[in-house]
Amino acid sequence: MYQLEPLPLDAITDPELRDLIGKAEALGVPGSSFARIIARAPAHAKPFLKALMMSHAEGNVDHKLKEVIRIQLARYAEDPYFSELRSNKARAAKLSEEIIDAGSGDYEDSLFFSEAEKCALRYADQIFLDANKVDAELYAELKTHFSEAQIMELGSFIALHYGMQIFMRTLGHTAQT
Amino acid sequence: MATDPDAVDAAFFEQLRMHFSESEIVELGLFIGFNLGFHTFFGTLKFYPMFSPDGRLISQEESQRVYGAAPGSLNSQDVA
Repeated sequence: MYQLEPLPLDAITDPELRDLIGKAEALGVPGSSFARIIARAPAHAKPFLKALMMSHAEGNVDHKLKEVIRIQLARYAEDPYFSELRSNKARAAKLSEEIIDAGSGDYEDSLFFSEAEKCALRYADQIFLDANKVDAELYAELKTHFSEAQIMELGSFIALHYGMQIFMRTLGHTAQT
Repeated sequence: MATDPDAVDAAFFEQLRMHFSESEIVELGLFIGFNLGFHTFFGTLKFYPMFSPDGRLISQEESQRVYGAAPGSLNSQDVA
């Protein structure tokens, strides 16, 4: 049980919000349950759902890399909901569970990832595990692999998804009986 | 949420419900999650407030002198 249960779809009357919930389910991330929980506050739910989906499924950074990063962060956040979700777009692009697990483990020594992808994975995990390590040196290394626009895309994606994963973690506790 | 997510448990939600509607709790959770993520990210960019405490538009160099060598972002050590 969630602390706030997902609303039944027929209780959500805003057509734009219903359309966004459909997209959240079709993409796989952020999924229907999260969307129907936050649907309690439609004016806030709509921009958050748009930002979550745009930052993940669109842009100029490889979607499969973002999906590996998203799951790495969800596991760090200890949020089972977002940890278990999978992007249907990444699945269609043949992203395997083996690669996903490698991104949450010792990715530095993994043969699955390029140097650019390892740098992005390091950026993601260090922001929330030890932000002091995200220093000028790491940004300089990021700039050898990514444009400044891509770095901001990655940083914003990481910040937004991690923040929502922590929120969802607090909603995921089983209610006391 | 920021420093001890496990403390935000069922009992905590019961307390929240005494003061806020479920819509307001969602609004708060989204707001806190957003700020938790972005303030930590912004902290890594090492930029400083654009205005001095008395409201003057100031350079990043002057802002660093005014506000200190380390931006006042949430310390990741405190984040689960």
